[in-house]
Amino acid sequence: MLYLSQVLGRPIRDLEGERVATVKDVIVRLGADDHPPVTGFVARYRRRDFFLPRWRITELNQHGVRLNSDILDLRPFVRRESEVLLARDVLDKQLIDVDGKRVVRVNDVQIIEAAGEYRVTGADVSLQGLWRRLAPPGFAGTKTPVEVLDWADVGYLATDAATVQLKSSSDKLARLHPVEIARLAEALSYHHGSEVVESLDDETAAETLEEMPAESQARILADMDQERAADILEWMSPDEAADVLGDLPEEKAEELLGLMEHDEQADVVELLPYEDDTAGGLMTTEFVTLPRALTVGEALARLREMAETPNMIYYLYVVEEEHSWKLLGVIALRSLILADPSMPLEEVMRTEFQRADPEEPAKEVAQRIAEYNLLALPVIDDSGDILGIITVDDAMEILLPKDWRLRLPRLFG
Amino acid sequence: MRRGAQGVRRTVARRRRLLAYVAILGPGMITANAGNDAGGIATFASVGADFGYSLLWILIPITISLGIVQEMCARMGAVTGKGLADLIRERFGVRWTALIMLALLIANAGVTVSEFVGIAAATELFGLSRFISVPVAAVAVWFLVVKGSYKRVERAFLLMSLVFLGYVVSAFMSRPDWTAVAVGLVRPEFKLEHAFLFTFVAVIGTTISPYMQVYVQSSVVEKGVTPDDYAKTKTDVWVGTIFAILIVFFIIISTAATLHKSGIEISTAADAARALRPLAGRYAETLFGIGLFGASMLAAGVLPLATAYSISEALGFEKGVSRSFREAPIFLGTFTFLVAVGAAIAIVPNLPLFRVLLVTQVINGLLLPIVLFAVLRLVNNRELMGSHVNGPLYNIAAWLTAIVVTLLSLLFILITLFPGMLGRG
Repeated sequence: MLYLSQVLGRPIRDLEGERVATVKDVIVRLGADDHPPVTGFVARYRRRDFFLPRWRITELNQHGVRLNSDILDLRPFVRRESEVLLARDVLDKQLIDVDGKRVVRVNDVQIIEAAGEYRVTGADVSLQGLWRRLAPPGFAGTKTPVEVLDWADVGYLATDAATVQLKSSSDKLARLHPVEIARLAEALSYHHGSEVVESLDDETAAETLEEMPAESQARILADMDQERAADILEWMSPDEAADVLGDLPEEKAEELLGLMEHDEQADVVELLPYEDDTAGGLMTTEFVTLPRALTVGEALARLREMAETPNMIYYLYVVEEEHSWKLLGVIALRSLILADPSMPLEEVMRTEFQRADPEEPAKEVAQRIAEYNLLALPVIDDSGDILGIITVDDAMEILLPKDWRLRLPRLFG
Repeated sequence: MRRGAQGVRRTVARRRRLLAYVAILGPGMITANAGNDAGGIATFASVGADFGYSLLWILIPITISLGIVQEMCARMGAVTGKGLADLIRERFGVRWTALIMLALLIANAGVTVSEFVGIAAATELFGLSRFISVPVAAVAVWFLVVKGSYKRVERAFLLMSLVFLGYVVSAFMSRPDWTAVAVGLVRPEFKLEHAFLFTFVAVIGTTISPYMQVYVQSSVVEKGVTPDDYAKTKTDVWVGTIFAILIVFFIIISTAATLHKSGIEISTAADAARALRPLAGRYAETLFGIGLFGASMLAAGVLPLATAYSISEALGFEKGVSRSFREAPIFLGTFTFLVAVGAAIAIVPNLPLFRVLLVTQVINGLLLPIVLFAVLRLVNNRELMGSHVNGPLYNIAAWLTAIVVTLLSLLFILITLFPGMLGRG
């Protein structure tokens, strides 16, 4: 086992043991491997850097590098696709540890020889790793066990070398909950945070964005490829998407909206005119309406058949007839399940329920939701049509102090 | 059964995010004025009391230097999205990071001591012994920060420290000799004496302190400023700088017009309070005590916290006040260490409180060059900053600042080590 810090600056010797150059950096190829192989070295000779491929090396240890010939090929170093330089791109940089769900800084890199290949097996994130580099050589023992992060758990490497993102990294990140991905992305600089979100698939990216502060959402989407941003917006819940678009410059918002699929676009557009701090601004348009004439059994069957079930189905909204929005009553999912399947909905529904006007201040509505222990509250216009619902998690966002909110997972999309 | 497209309105109405843009106190404003803490007040008050108007001129180069230094850090925060400690670690490696963080730790420990000394001085104005007030304050600060309710009390302390605005009124009411003020402002006077250099380095140390650079950059990062909306932050930094120095200007005038005129040297907080008499009469001490207490409590919490953040950030350790000691030992350890050491030194018996305040600012001034050169190398790194590196003229001014500060610091060390150098020392 070898540490990067023990190799850097060490001599490169030829067959005779003559010192010909020093090790400036170690080149590693990132790819499908969990433990990426060393593909070469950057050698420094008379203030010039040149490239030393892996096959010219017979030995690599604490004392340096041994070449397999006497001839030194002074080819200048050029970075190739998916290659990283351990000292330049990895050492001292931050990475996401998927296993520990945290952002750490690389204090040293562990290299292990196995089957004739040198491979990066782990990132040392311990205090000892730091001490090994600070202390004069010989002072820091290598025997003591240290906290080494398995390279297979590296979900994202926050480096400025653009071409080197780990291909498998987004799969690893996707194993985490969007709340965690959002928290980790926020802990990185905004460039790297955007990169993390971009590396995710559309659905996970949307869920992750929803967990981030509004300003970050807007910035990340604005900097992204437009088509991609529109795709992600489609996956977001309409109220969140409307909030983000409201935060973007008008032109940009129009453009993104134009690129969205028709259905999702329509949902968002409906929400846009409402002021942020009103019930209308707080509501979402994803909810279930059922005509009054349906029986309980039919209603349950319809819920099961629904292609895209909204997140919030704990309340079902009973309307006059198919395609009408005139709200007559509310049924809790619990009552629906417990009720006799042959009864018509209008006999099960409650006609006395809390409701909000779209212009009502958001804070008051939120307080009402908390007071009556509701999971959601319908927003109704002057003609008695249901416009949307306000879910309890959106209400909590208003009521709780800001730093609490960060720890609160979303219950409904 | 999602709600369909009924009455689609195709224009995107602007929805206002009310609070997002109404933040009057930007990072630049807060940081620059954080310099006017216990140590700052002590330093500026003694400048006025000891040297009258003759040192006013240094406020002009200091305004320019402070503005430039703060602006460079704010710009780095906006362009890179990373804190100063992060950048130092990523660009200069472990050894430099360790050196700079050590310097920062020492400097900030010194300033933290001065904040607790400020608390001691303030409460002693009200007759409360520092052996009671300082330990209580230390425990209170520790609990408030670690248990997470500090943000709420912060405003109260901030409000209390606004009392120092009273110096502005007091400066006018003390009827200073405005011609002498004008002369002092434009005619540079420099003496190669220990006392003079001491004050000089202290003034630089308290206005351009290393923690302010770290702090302003972190706040800019936290606020999520990007190069696109950086112009606003730039204005905020410069306005904040000028405002902070204006307050200093009036503190010096009011102490010069009251204390220097009657030949009083400042050795206690009560002396410094005397400069508020033209405004507050016999309530001067009370007023001063409230202001000093608020400013000191504020900084006694923020400073150790900011230091703990920087060190954990640079060394890559878990950070955050919501973590337990087991999860984030370095972070909470640093914070606790600074608060404990700060409070402990401040209650050493027979400590000349006001002298300690000045000395810590000198330590700051001495450590400043290390941070300044690091900032200059980072901000001029094209790979990092792209087109946002310093312009040529700006760069000259920035380098000049760093070089002059370094020379003064070296000169000061020489004079301190070899007092005989100047004849009488």
